[in-house]
Amino acid sequence: MMPVSRSNTRQNHFKLARQITEIVLERGFAEGDHLPEAMLSQACGVSRTPVRSAFKILEDKNIVRRREEGGYVLNQPPEKVAADSAAVPDDMEGSLAERILSDRAERRIADVHSVSALSRRYSSSRSSVLNALKILSSDGIVTQLPGRAWAFQPMLDTPNAVDESLAFRLVLEPQAILATGFQVDSQKIGIMRQQTEEFLQRPDGKLSSATFLHLDCAFHSFIAESSGNRFARGVLLAHQRLRLSTQKDVSIADFRLRQSLQEHLGILDSLERMQLQLAADQMVLHLRRSQIRKPQAISRGFRPPGLGVAP
Amino acid sequence: MSKPVIALFPEASFGSALNCVGIAQQLLREGAVPVFLCHPGFNGVFAEYGFREYQLPATAAPGPQTDETWQDFVTAHVAHFNQDPTAQLSTYVAPTWEAIVDTAMQAEEGLERLLKRIKPAGIVLDNVIMFPAIANAGMPWVRVVSCTETEIPDENVPPYLSGMAADDPARPEFEAAYLAATQAAHRRYNAFRRDCGLSALPQGQFLEASPRLNLLLAPSAIRHSRRTPLPAERFVFLEGCVRKEAQFDPPPLPVNEGPLIYVSFGSLGAIDTDLISRMLRTFAQYPARFFVNVGAFLESYSKVPDNVFLGSWFPQPSIVSQADLFVHHGGNNSFCEAMFFGVPSLIMPYCWDGHDNATRAEQTGTGAHMHRDDWSPQELAGRMTALLADDVMLTRLRQISVRMQATPGTQQAARSILKVL
Repeated sequence: MMPVSRSNTRQNHFKLARQITEIVLERGFAEGDHLPEAMLSQACGVSRTPVRSAFKILEDKNIVRRREEGGYVLNQPPEKVAADSAAVPDDMEGSLAERILSDRAERRIADVHSVSALSRRYSSSRSSVLNALKILSSDGIVTQLPGRAWAFQPMLDTPNAVDESLAFRLVLEPQAILATGFQVDSQKIGIMRQQTEEFLQRPDGKLSSATFLHLDCAFHSFIAESSGNRFARGVLLAHQRLRLSTQKDVSIADFRLRQSLQEHLGILDSLERMQLQLAADQMVLHLRRSQIRKPQAISRGFRPPGLGVAP
Repeated sequence: MSKPVIALFPEASFGSALNCVGIAQQLLREGAVPVFLCHPGFNGVFAEYGFREYQLPATAAPGPQTDETWQDFVTAHVAHFNQDPTAQLSTYVAPTWEAIVDTAMQAEEGLERLLKRIKPAGIVLDNVIMFPAIANAGMPWVRVVSCTETEIPDENVPPYLSGMAADDPARPEFEAAYLAATQAAHRRYNAFRRDCGLSALPQGQFLEASPRLNLLLAPSAIRHSRRTPLPAERFVFLEGCVRKEAQFDPPPLPVNEGPLIYVSFGSLGAIDTDLISRMLRTFAQYPARFFVNVGAFLESYSKVPDNVFLGSWFPQPSIVSQADLFVHHGGNNSFCEAMFFGVPSLIMPYCWDGHDNATRAEQTGTGAHMHRDDWSPQELAGRMTALLADDVMLTRLRQISVRMQATPGTQQAARSILKVL
């Protein structure tokens, strides 16, 4: 396993801080409300220690404040939290990596870049840019080319890329379940089930696609981690990290979000009972349903298939 | 008593499809079982909202819609979208009606079989043409006019697809040109109707009014005062028809300041990537955040400005509700959604009823009309600034929004449908 560097740990705390602000906003916390550590650690699927580190980052930004009697409260109205949380990890390498990644996923920067061009764009030192690129390269998002340039690898930034990702996962994920040695951590299943059920309790129109993506990637990463095949495990985990960082799919209707999470729960049930063949089949169904996408190009006057274009 | 099954059959365009989704969501809440009849290539759209779909079998040569065939369509028509409504009659409207007639003829056999199989209590047709299988099915059918109100003619209503005012002196010429342009398709369609046992329709008309119920997506704010009022027991006007959609949280942009402007020309409008690229260059210099729907063409763009976010699809009701200005092509659903949420429209029409809505937005003070292609960056920026600063329009739109939200069209539609079935 790759050793976790200090900058990676710090980067994870920044990510967690952002995740906490998302949860705070989604669950309707108001200014002055206590933010329960236990609830947040459960919702984020981490222990309380990193939650405390994330609180410190948010405290620096005045988003939360420490209570005299212990714990943290929300220090701002929710509208301000939304605006300020965008700048949470500012001026850090982790933040720079996120900004580069986000700009690439939103097609602001090109496929190949030099460190100096990025350093000009972000008004950052060459060493900060280089460190940011190294963080991204550990997730396979950029590769250093011979010479000084860095090239971005394919991302999940367009509907076609998402289609290809699903086709790739359809080949591997059921096999990851069926490979000899598949083992599940039932405690993790419990946490995942609880997070999913909590999300499902939200009313229509309040199902955030960002939170769905977190839950979805966590579920599929769990499947990968549990696989007995080391290569399937590695490749799928890297792919889920790529999805989490770059997939910006906001086109899923509430019904399908719920249906998709119900499918996760069904697969978890089968895994707990060690009915692996059934779970693998359910995974095929789940991914195939996710493959059905809206037509991209339709219009009045576009002739039925086979009749050609209107004269 | 078992719940009534209601078959909704929208045209293969997102406007009518999503309009019907809004009605179906409400029918479900009212205790009915809405199902969808969908055109080949359109499956999955309604299932994603939780509705059962029945796909019309493709009876012509097989094969899904491909990038190549769509590209042919683009190549054939993109230049026509710069023409005025009269010039478009021969270049776009006439071939489009030919294609619509083909669609109806192709669907007939499969539709008849499907209706026999489903046996719905009623059919909701949101289209611009009658499918004889529906009229012959022996069950009540409801017509939905999700295009602009001009689809139902009247002397006080501007001619359909003209972009004119009702009293435009050039009206007779346009009406004559429309009939001439659609004559061949109309003759072919009437022959088809006769073969199916239906009577011929008057020149220029491809769909009759339902004897039971007709629903018009025409909020009171933009409705025309007709010379011959439509009988209220059969014609119900809807105050918007907005579906429940996923929540959209606008992501922070590298330059994240200023009003939020949403831009969408529909899946058809997204084909003109050169035009949208030119708009992006103007947006880059404008102090606002732009969210731009580029449909199937996301991969055609690079170097996206720091105050712009491109998407291939947005849950439109959610983002329009958060927008300060909506730049669109004048599709009736988009125009009505803008009013439903009290947002001014800058309408840059491509074709069809976009022209009618652009004129109507100007007439009713709910938005502005601008040529889709013939503008300088300064003109486009000036129009956006004027709309964002028009407090009188904003106040009017807020009142319209309150009225529309108080009487949601989806509820009006669903209850009216259930009453006549």
